[in-house]
Amino acid sequence: MGKELIRLLVNGESREAAVPPSKLLLDVLREDLGLTGSKRGCDDSSCGCCTVLIDGVPMLACVALAVSYQDAEITTIEGLAAAGEFDPVQEAFAASGGAQCGFCTPGFILATRALLDSNPDPSLDEIRDALASNICRCTGYTQIYQAVIAAVEKLRERRRLPTAAD
Amino acid sequence: MTLAPFQVVRPASVDDAVRVLADNGPEAMIIAGGTDLVPNLQMRLFAPRVLVDIKRLKPLAGIEWDARNGLRIGALATLAETAQTPLVRTRFPALAAAVQSIAGPLQRNMGTIGGNVCLETRCLWYNQSEFWRQSLGGCLKKDGDVCHVAPGGRFCWAVWSGDSAPALLTLDAELEIAGPAGIRRVPLAEFYKDDGMDRIALGRDELVVAVRLPARAADRRGSYHKLRVRDSIDYPLAGVAVSMEVDASGVCRRARVALAAVNPAPRLVREASERLEGRRYSRELVEEAAHDAIRTGKPLTTSGSTPVYRREMVRLFTRRALEQLWQERGR
Amino acid sequence: MSDTSLIGKPMPMTDSRAKVTGLGKYTDDLVAPGMLWGRILHSPHAHARIRAIDTAAAESLPGVKAVATGRDAPVPYGILPIGHDERVFALDKARYIGDNVAAVAATSPETAEEALRLLRVEYELLPAWFDPLESMKAERDWIHEEKPHNIEKEYHHEFGDVEAGFAQADFVLEVSYRCGEVTHAAMEPHSTLAVWEPDERMTVFSSTQVPFYLHRTVAAVCEMPMSRIRVIKPLVGGGFGGKSEVIPLEVAAAVLAKKTRRPVKITYTREEVFYAHRGRPITLVDLKAGITGDGRLTAVRARIVQDGGAYCGYGPVTVLYSGQLLNAIYDIPNVSFDGYRVLTNKPACGAMRGHGTVNARFAFESILDQLAARAGIDPLELRRRNLLPAPCVTPNGLRVTSYGLPECLDKVAERSGWRQKRGKLPYGRGIGVACSHYVSGAANPIIRSNMPHTTVHMKIDRDAAVTVYTGASEIGQGSDTMQVQITAEVLGVRPERIGLVAADTALTPVDLGSYSSRVTFMAGNACLEAARNLREQIFAAVARKFGCEPGDLDARDDRVVSKNGAKVSLSFDEAVATALEFQGALVAKGTYAPPEEARGGKFKGGGVGPSPAYSYCAQTAEVTVDPETGRVRVDRIVAAHDCGRALNPLTVEGQIEGSVYMGMGQALQEDMTWRDGRLMNPSFLEYRLPTTLETPPIESIIVESIDPEGPFGAKEAGEGSLAATIPAIANAIEDAVGIRITDVPITPEKVLAALRAKEQAEKGAKR
Repeated sequence: MGKELIRLLVNGESREAAVPPSKLLLDVLREDLGLTGSKRGCDDSSCGCCTVLIDGVPMLACVALAVSYQDAEITTIEGLAAAGEFDPVQEAFAASGGAQCGFCTPGFILATRALLDSNPDPSLDEIRDALASNICRCTGYTQIYQAVIAAVEKLRERRRLPTAAD
Repeated sequence: MTLAPFQVVRPASVDDAVRVLADNGPEAMIIAGGTDLVPNLQMRLFAPRVLVDIKRLKPLAGIEWDARNGLRIGALATLAETAQTPLVRTRFPALAAAVQSIAGPLQRNMGTIGGNVCLETRCLWYNQSEFWRQSLGGCLKKDGDVCHVAPGGRFCWAVWSGDSAPALLTLDAELEIAGPAGIRRVPLAEFYKDDGMDRIALGRDELVVAVRLPARAADRRGSYHKLRVRDSIDYPLAGVAVSMEVDASGVCRRARVALAAVNPAPRLVREASERLEGRRYSRELVEEAAHDAIRTGKPLTTSGSTPVYRREMVRLFTRRALEQLWQERGR
Repeated sequence: MSDTSLIGKPMPMTDSRAKVTGLGKYTDDLVAPGMLWGRILHSPHAHARIRAIDTAAAESLPGVKAVATGRDAPVPYGILPIGHDERVFALDKARYIGDNVAAVAATSPETAEEALRLLRVEYELLPAWFDPLESMKAERDWIHEEKPHNIEKEYHHEFGDVEAGFAQADFVLEVSYRCGEVTHAAMEPHSTLAVWEPDERMTVFSSTQVPFYLHRTVAAVCEMPMSRIRVIKPLVGGGFGGKSEVIPLEVAAAVLAKKTRRPVKITYTREEVFYAHRGRPITLVDLKAGITGDGRLTAVRARIVQDGGAYCGYGPVTVLYSGQLLNAIYDIPNVSFDGYRVLTNKPACGAMRGHGTVNARFAFESILDQLAARAGIDPLELRRRNLLPAPCVTPNGLRVTSYGLPECLDKVAERSGWRQKRGKLPYGRGIGVACSHYVSGAANPIIRSNMPHTTVHMKIDRDAAVTVYTGASEIGQGSDTMQVQITAEVLGVRPERIGLVAADTALTPVDLGSYSSRVTFMAGNACLEAARNLREQIFAAVARKFGCEPGDLDARDDRVVSKNGAKVSLSFDEAVATALEFQGALVAKGTYAPPEEARGGKFKGGGVGPSPAYSYCAQTAEVTVDPETGRVRVDRIVAAHDCGRALNPLTVEGQIEGSVYMGMGQALQEDMTWRDGRLMNPSFLEYRLPTTLETPPIESIIVESIDPEGPFGAKEAGEGSLAATIPAIANAIEDAVGIRITDVPITPEKVLAALRAKEQAEKGAKR
């Protein structure tokens, strides 16, 4: 079947791709836009490796048709922070052992980012609830929980800084 | 795994959507969140020529309440939105609990209430890859003429696996359905056909627009108990929704028990309502109602868990739900 | 040893920034100009002779560039020299549902998939064997004609006098245990990109734990000299043993690349990963053990049958580990072992985290608790009474050099509140304990030779950067970081100065691979030797120039200085420049081979089990059992692991926690379910890995026994904690509700059935 020219707003940039309408957002990101940070770990939307933010909400790019998300703002792991910079969540995952093999890591980081945007001070139970669509086979989640808690601290410090200057 | 090719149409109005559906007949399917459909497409369970993406249909969005008409949940309301809406949580607790139990948080961000009430039925022998199914010669529901669950039979036992439907049944829900003749309303209980192959009474040229809960169903005590291996991601192996009204003297004024994942349809346990209404709590009464539930639920080997165990859990969950709700402080 | 600057301090992994930004490249992230997509045709039959394959229709589909079948690559291979029973595509017959029959390479994935549908294979169905005990009795239709009765290998060992041992015992129990089949389920599905180079060479990028075995196998199957093949391991998204032998897609991609003279990439679907498998086999353990009245083990007899699937793989090693490693944890004077590795028409099993030891350990640690109950001894105390008199050599020839198990037991007892809880928690809640251990690499290589198991090169040139060339494979466990840390420590430089080139057969010397927890011990030692060598060269040059003794010099804080503070005080850059004056670029080498005395006994099978050092773990699990649903919740796990010395506590803790997690999954919910050789749950929806909601924060405790031969005293950390988790949970369930489950996974159905049986038995007793 023919291809369709679609325009996606990804990481703040307008990107075009000619793709079959049946192509999944995950595959368009990876194959057409070169954004390979989003991963495919399963074929039945049950691992979370493909998590991206769509209008700030964490979703599974493996069940989204790319053509259907042309009105949305899509954030992938590559766009979470400016080039060369790190989001506090990324820093925390790197420092706390939250990434071992790293394959699930982009998904966990994006799901965490969305959690902290809506709930800046989550309890451990809230962290476990929010990350329950993302599977990690390496860490036993413990250092991921620690990374999220460390990220909460980092963000709290960031918020404090301007008030300290007042 | 790639998807078989199809076109995607994104209608701007409900009328347009209906027209596209009517024009394409059985070759069209509706997509909203994609959480049910896309994995099934990857398994090549369907080969639609056209997907009708309804996400732009404004009348299908939002959750509204008014005291006369009750609650209207637009078909496109996501499961997360539904479960988190304060009014749903406080006044329709059975629904909130059921929806909150669906899959995991990310699936709930995408999946919609409309999709969940129209969920495709599921079976261990059906929800498998094209290669897997072909290695077995298919099944009654797809590409074959044998039911591996009940060999010899001509009936498909693929199981109803949506969690919201039983809760909605306990709340006397209706659906708003758009079709060529406009909007019709149908009681949810009449929407399900209890046939694994042909699960819902929805015309090929129709779509679900909204779920409606009558105002009288608000403030019923309610809960949803779900059997699953993991507390996230999993579809139900059995589900029991209960809503009830108990008056100040402890008499049950209204009781609804409904089941998921043990029949090809979500099913109300009508005998339980008859048994409970007008009665005071007793352990024996609750046991009898639980027994009614297992007479309604007929689990077969459609999932990894055993039918015996699932039946047992239906009984236990019904008992637990009734005991817990009866003893809850009045609303 | 508090004078280290980096060793023993938590250090984030060197590749963590690549991973948290999503910029690191895994194999499936790579593309090559002109790349084709490969797809594999799998057998829909469990056991079938292949009469004919008609490829014409597929070949004529536009976009299809090649179809390959068994005839294109008839050379057999296998990870063990005694088990070359696999071909990339079945030549004579298919041996399991999912076996590899043919493959296509096409210009798009859609075309490749379409081409598979056009391949016509004519099969002649054969009777198939699915149950290991039935399979062992087979008189005909053997899965491999040269393996009578479908027995891949059997071993029979006796050390000491087992019958005499049982005669001395006051309590003897004989129990049968069963463990279901589990798989690695690394998040990254296997992927291989084989790039044909214009000069008749091939570069293979692959998601592998063993690039050097892959190198050999690709060369053998493609019938090319190894010198024309280069294997590169990009980032690997988890292995756990599932990528520790050559997997069919790796060879298939190479065969197709050679055939098309173009780059070919194959990435498995999740379902295909389940068929590639190589996981932990269904295991039947018949165990008999005896103790004296005061709790001393007198004898153990084990009969272990493993349902190995259709190919040899690591099978003989798996079954030997299950027997050999009954030893080296407790002091058992008399042990006998009968082990059978059986072939069945199912995907091949292989090495999975805790290789061979896990299911035997479940049985052993369960029977210990059952014996403790008989003897009226606290189960933790029973374990204390059977400790090894380390250092020692076990009756089956395993040399134990360091032994932190006593401290592990003390630490978990204290942290978990064992005394206050065991036997004292309310009905429905319980606590259990169990121990486990693992090798720090195998003392004998898979392919017997006298060559080192690993070699590390280092180089320093005018940029004063230190480059480490190592064959060791980073798979998420921290292999790269460990080597950077050791190198930086020895040279006294900041880790940022170290560059690491790893797992590229054209650039890095051979390391056998990331399996059997060998990397820290072996590559770590080689790295240590190379870095010391480099430091000596720098010291010698500086000493020569400044007229002092090399022994007077020290390297620390990115400087080379005199130990007594006099004379020499150079920046590392200046010291390097000094050395370069004499000899140009500095290069160094380090190697590691286990010492002769670590290599074990000379009996048949005695080569598997020996290791230069063993790790130890003691663990407690606390659970809540719902007696009405049978559901078990893990409330808390405390794991104390003796890793010799924690070079990097951050990654050691991550390894312990990850091991415990995998053990939890196997204990309660992971299970490959089969119907007539058909895997019923080849997906992440149905093969249920624990989510965050089933996983409480895991409490890890590091115990440091400082091994005399490990690098800075380090031993294994990545596998040894897994095996204890399963019996700790089973033992906790017994404490909670008084039932003994001997069949893993411990599903709610089994718990409920056992509770009912117990109720019935108690009713019967009352009457």
